[in-house]
Amino acid sequence: MAIDGLIILDNSGRAIIQSGFRSKPLAYPLLHIDAFNTAVAKSRRAGDIEPVIYVPAYNVAESPSACCHVECADIRILCPVSDDGDPLFAFSFIRTFVDILYEYFGTPSAATLKDNFDVVYQLLEETLDSSGQPLTTSPNALRDIVLPPSLLSKLLSVAGANLTSAINAGSSIGGPFSSPIPWRKAGLRYTSNEIYFDMVEDLKAIVNKHGTTLSSSVWGRMETNCKLSGTPDCLLSFTNPHVITDCAFHPCVRLQRWKRDSSLSFVPPDGHFTLAEYRFTPSASATTARFTNPNAPTVSSRENIPLPFLVKANVEFAESSVSFEFKLTSRMPSHTLDNVVVEMFLGDGATGVKGSTSRGDGGNAGLRGSDGSNSVTGSWTFDSRKTAVRWEISQALPSSVWLLRGSYSCLNGVPRPAHALQIRFDIASYTFSALKVDQLKVTGENYKPYKGVRGRSSGSIEWRW
Amino acid sequence: MSAVYLNTISENASRLGMRLHESFSEHTRDLSITRGSSLYLEPDDKGKNIRKQLDSSSDREKLDAMKRLIALISKGRNVSEYFAQVVKNVASQNLEIRKLVYIYLLRYAEQEPDLALLSINTFQKDLTDSNPLIRAMALRVLSGIKVPMIGSIVILAIKKCAADMSPYVRKAAALAIPKCNELDSSHVTALIEIISTLLRDRSPLSIGSVAVAFEAVIPTRLDMLHQQYRRLCRMLVDVDEWGQISLLNLLLRYARTMLTRPNEDEIDVDIKLLLTSAEPLFQSRNAAVVLAVTRVFYYASPPSYHPRVVQPLLRLLHTSREIERVVLGYLFALARVRPALFAPHYLQFLVRTDDLGRVKQDKIKLLLIVATQETYQSILREFIDYADDPDDEVVRAAIRAVGKCAQENPDSTPQCLTALITMLNNPRGNSAVLVLKHLVQSHLTNSTSGLPLDIISNLARRVEDIRHSQARACVIWLVGQYSESGQPGAGISGIVDWAPDVLRKCAKGFATELPIVKLQIVTLAAKLLVLCPTDERLSLVGGYVFSLAKYDLNYDVRDRTRMIVSLLAGLGLPESVVARDSAFETRGGVVLRREQARVILFQGKVAVVDDATDDTVPNAHLGSLTLITHKPMRSDEHLPDWLERGVESSLRDTVDDKPPPAPLPVFNSPATRQTKHGVTREVPSSSTPTSASKPQWTDLDKFYENDESEETESEESGEEEEEETEGASSEESSEEATEHDP
Repeated sequence: MAIDGLIILDNSGRAIIQSGFRSKPLAYPLLHIDAFNTAVAKSRRAGDIEPVIYVPAYNVAESPSACCHVECADIRILCPVSDDGDPLFAFSFIRTFVDILYEYFGTPSAATLKDNFDVVYQLLEETLDSSGQPLTTSPNALRDIVLPPSLLSKLLSVAGANLTSAINAGSSIGGPFSSPIPWRKAGLRYTSNEIYFDMVEDLKAIVNKHGTTLSSSVWGRMETNCKLSGTPDCLLSFTNPHVITDCAFHPCVRLQRWKRDSSLSFVPPDGHFTLAEYRFTPSASATTARFTNPNAPTVSSRENIPLPFLVKANVEFAESSVSFEFKLTSRMPSHTLDNVVVEMFLGDGATGVKGSTSRGDGGNAGLRGSDGSNSVTGSWTFDSRKTAVRWEISQALPSSVWLLRGSYSCLNGVPRPAHALQIRFDIASYTFSALKVDQLKVTGENYKPYKGVRGRSSGSIEWRW
Repeated sequence: MSAVYLNTISENASRLGMRLHESFSEHTRDLSITRGSSLYLEPDDKGKNIRKQLDSSSDREKLDAMKRLIALISKGRNVSEYFAQVVKNVASQNLEIRKLVYIYLLRYAEQEPDLALLSINTFQKDLTDSNPLIRAMALRVLSGIKVPMIGSIVILAIKKCAADMSPYVRKAAALAIPKCNELDSSHVTALIEIISTLLRDRSPLSIGSVAVAFEAVIPTRLDMLHQQYRRLCRMLVDVDEWGQISLLNLLLRYARTMLTRPNEDEIDVDIKLLLTSAEPLFQSRNAAVVLAVTRVFYYASPPSYHPRVVQPLLRLLHTSREIERVVLGYLFALARVRPALFAPHYLQFLVRTDDLGRVKQDKIKLLLIVATQETYQSILREFIDYADDPDDEVVRAAIRAVGKCAQENPDSTPQCLTALITMLNNPRGNSAVLVLKHLVQSHLTNSTSGLPLDIISNLARRVEDIRHSQARACVIWLVGQYSESGQPGAGISGIVDWAPDVLRKCAKGFATELPIVKLQIVTLAAKLLVLCPTDERLSLVGGYVFSLAKYDLNYDVRDRTRMIVSLLAGLGLPESVVARDSAFETRGGVVLRREQARVILFQGKVAVVDDATDDTVPNAHLGSLTLITHKPMRSDEHLPDWLERGVESSLRDTVDDKPPPAPLPVFNSPATRQTKHGVTREVPSSSTPTSASKPQWTDLDKFYENDESEETESEESGEEEEEETEGASSEESSEEATEHDP
C-alpha cells in the first residue's frame, strides 16, 4: 500500500508543485494532470467530479493507475496511486498534508504556495518518502525540521543572520526528534499556560417535501489550541459523556481510559489540533443500549434533532419557466442564526432569473436602517457557474420570517431544477449536544493552566419540496 | 522618560533600516521580502549565473541558487547540468542549503550516477552526524542513488542505521531496504537479517516501516513473524497511524496463513488477541486505519463479529465527500454479502441533491440492497423522489430501482406501477417504459394475474404521450405481443379492444416516426392481422401502413415490410392489403399458413434478461482500488485463504506449500549462516542436514515451544526462554523436516 506522490494544481489546472515520481516514467504526472483536467471539463455540474479517476495505462509496459484528488481553497491536490491499494490511504494522506499546509500558511492558496514553494518542497520531501510511505506527518515534529515561513525569518535572512542555527544544533534540547513523544515538541515554555477547547458541531439533515425530518445527525469536533509548558498530562472529564458516541480521537488520547470511564487522558501536541470527533445521540437511553450490545440496531428515526427553522416552498412550473416562493421561519427560541445561505440548483440552461427578498414579519424595527438593507431583507444572487440561485440572510433573529420570490426560464426546453434547497447556517455560542466539560486536571507539571471552553454550531440541511 | 525611550526605539529602527537598506542595494533579488519566493517562479529565469552562485563562498548566494534550481525543477525543466556544482555543496554547514541539495540529489542522482558517486564519502560521513535528521537524510539520499555498484555500501549504511539510537533513523533504514533490494537483489540475505533485527525493535515509531520493508522484500517469509506476532499485536495501539495500516495488513496476512480459521464456537487465542488489539483503532481519525481494522474484522473473525465494523464505517461517511465516495463502494461490497448488517441504517444512505453523481448512484444501489419488509415503503418513496433529479443518470437509476422494488417485493408492485406510470408523464421518465416492459414480462412469466395486461392497456392509451422513440417502440411492441384476447369482446374478435386503436394512432403519424418506431408499427400491424385476418377496417389500416412502409426512405423499414408482407401471403387478405407484385408470382416458394405465421410473429421471444448490469469486479477484496474503479488494477497484494485444518498440522502444510524464496540457497551457505547465527542466534549451525527450507522449520517449531511458555511469562523474559528451548527445538525440527522431505 503506497502512493506515488503528490501534485498541487492551481485553479486553472496547471501544476504548481509536484513531488519526485522517481520510479515512474516522466510522462506519468502529466498523464494524471491531463486525466484530471479532462474530468473537470466533462463534469456536468460544477464541482461534481469523480474523486477517484481511473487513468488507463498509456502503453502495455505500464499498469493502469488512479488519480485521487481533493479541492482545498483555490488549489487541487492530486495523488496518483498505481497499485491496488486502498484509495482511503491517499485521501487520508492528502488530508494530513492539507492540515500541514494550514498549519504553515494559514489558508493555503496558489499565491501563498508559490511564494513559499521552497518550504512546500521541503514539506513534501519530509512527509513522503520516495517509496510512497508517509514519513513525518505530525506538525509538531515537522516544525523542527522545516521552518515555517515568517516575515521575521525573511527579514533576518536579508539582514544576513542565520536562523537555521537552531536546527544545526542537532541533538541538544529542542532539536529535531529529541522529543520522546512523536506528536509533542520537547522543551516548550510558556509564560501563561492556557488550553482552549472549541466544541464545533455540524447538523446534517434531510427534510422531505411534507416537512418531516427523514434523517438528522450532529457531528462534533473538539478543536483544541494548546499552549502548555513542559510535558503536561491532561485528564479531561465531562459531566454528560453519554450524549456522545462514535468517537474518533487524536493519536495522543489513551483509548483504554476512554473505554473505562469516558474521560480523555492525553499528553497534548503543541498548538492547534483536533482532539476528538463524535456524534451526538439525542436519546441517551438508546445509546447505552447500543453501547452494551453492539448488535442492537440504531433506531435513527427516533433520534431526530429539532431543526432550527421551518421552510415553506411553493414552486410552480409553466411551459419553460418556473416561479418559486420560499418562506423561512426561524424556530430558535433565543439564538440568532448567522450566515444563512439557501441554495437551489436551477438546472442546465437556466436564465433570466428574477427575484425579490422581503421580511415576512414586517421587519424588526431595531434592525432596520442600522445594518444596511441586506440584513433587513436578506439578499439573493444568481451563481452562473453553478447555475444556482443563492439566498443569503446574514442574521436571522429568533422567530423572524424571511421570504424569497422569484422566477426563471430555461433556454433548452423544460426546466429541471433540483427538487431541494440546500441550507447552511451558523449558530454562535451554541451546541446541539450541550456536551459540558467537567474539569481538566493536569499532572506532571506544577502549574495550573487556564482552560477555555467554547461552542459553536453550523448546519447543512437539505429541504426537499 | 518616555521621550528617551522613544528616542532609543527610533534609533534602533533607523539602524535596522540602514542595515536593511545596505542589503537591498547589495542584492536586488532580496526584494522578495514583499513578493516571497514566487519571484523564483517567474518565467524569465533562464538559469544564468546559477553556476557562479553555487561556486560562491556566500551561503546566501548558494541558497538563492538552490532555490532557483528547485524552482526550475518545479517548472519541469531539466537542470541536471548543474549536478557537479550542486554536489560540492552537499557538505555545507548551512542546513537550509543542505536540505535543498538533498532534494536536488534525490531527484537527479539516478541520471548522473558517476557524479553522485563523488558525493558518497560525504554521505558516509553524515551517517555519523550528531543530528538524527542529517543521519536519516544521508541514508535516504544514499539509498536513492540507483547505482548497483554501491550496493554493498548502502547495505553497510542501512545496517548501521538499523542499530541507530533514534527510532527516526531506524525508520529511514527500514524504508531504505526495499529500494536497496530493487537495485540489486543479490543482497537479499543481508537485508533479511536487517529486517529480522528491526522486527525486534521496541519503538512503535519504526515498526510500521519495517512492516512495509517486510512486505516488499520477503512477503512469503511470514514464519519470521512467529516470535513477534503477539508483541506486534500488543504494540499496535502505540504505532503511528501510517504504521498501523501496514502492520494491520501484515498481521491479517499472518493470521490467515498461520492460524486456524475461526468459527462461532472456537476462536484461536491469537486471532482473538489480534481482534482485541485492533478494535480500539476503530476510533482512529484516519479513515485508512479504520478500513484496515475493518479488513481485519471482516476477513479474520467469525460472522458474529462483523456487526462491529458497521458503525465505524458509517462514521467515515461524514468525514468528506471523497471519503464518502470510497466508503460507499466498500459498503456496497459488504452489503451485497450481508445486507442485514446495514438494513437498520438505511437512513444514512439517503441521497442529497448536492451529492456527487457517482455517490447518488451508489446510494441508490445500496438502498435497494438493504431494503427490508419494514423499510420498503419509505425507500420506495425515496426512489420516487429521486426520479426528479436534474441528473439523467440518477433518474435512470432511480426508475430502475423502482422496478427492482416491485420485483423483489411483490406487495409493493401496485405502488411501484402507479409510480412508474406517473413517471411516464414526466418528460424524462422515458426509461420508465423500459422498466415497465421488464416488469410486465417478468410478471407474465411467473404469475397469472391480470395485472400486467392492465399495465399494457394503460400504456396503450397513453401511446401518444410517450415521446421518447425507444419507449414508444417498446410500448408498440408490448401492445402487439399481448394483444391476443381469449374471450369475445366488444371489438374485433380475438383481439383486445385497445389494440387496434393504437395501430390507428400510429398509422396516422407514421411518416414522422423514427425508423425504430416504424419497424414496430409494421410488426404491430402484422400481428393484429394474423390474429384477425377477417376484419375489414383492420385490413384497411394494415394495408395503409404497409404501403407507406414499402416506400420508406429507410431500407430497413422497406426490407422488413417486404418480409412481413410475404409472411402474411397465406392469410387470404384482400389484394389491397398485400399487393402481390409479379416477381413474387414467378418466383414461387412456400406460402405459410396462418398458424405458422403466427408462431413466427409471436413466439420465441427472448427471455427476460436482467437489465441492471452488475459491474462489481469479482474477487476484489475490501480496501482495494479495483472495488472503487471497477477496473482491474495491478496488484501484488492478495489475501491468503484460510487453512482448513487445525493449527499444528496446517501450519506445517502452509510452509510446505509455499516455495522458499529464491535466494535461499545463498542463505544456506556456511558463511552467511554464520553471520545469521551471530545476529539472530536462532539456528544452531549444526542442524542443517536436510533441505534448503530448513531454517523455516526451526523457526516454526520454536514458535510452538514458545507458545506454551510465552503465555505464562512476560515479554521481558522472552530472551532467556528462547535460549532454553533452542536445543529441543532444533532436534525436533530436523525430525519434522525429514518426515516431510519427499
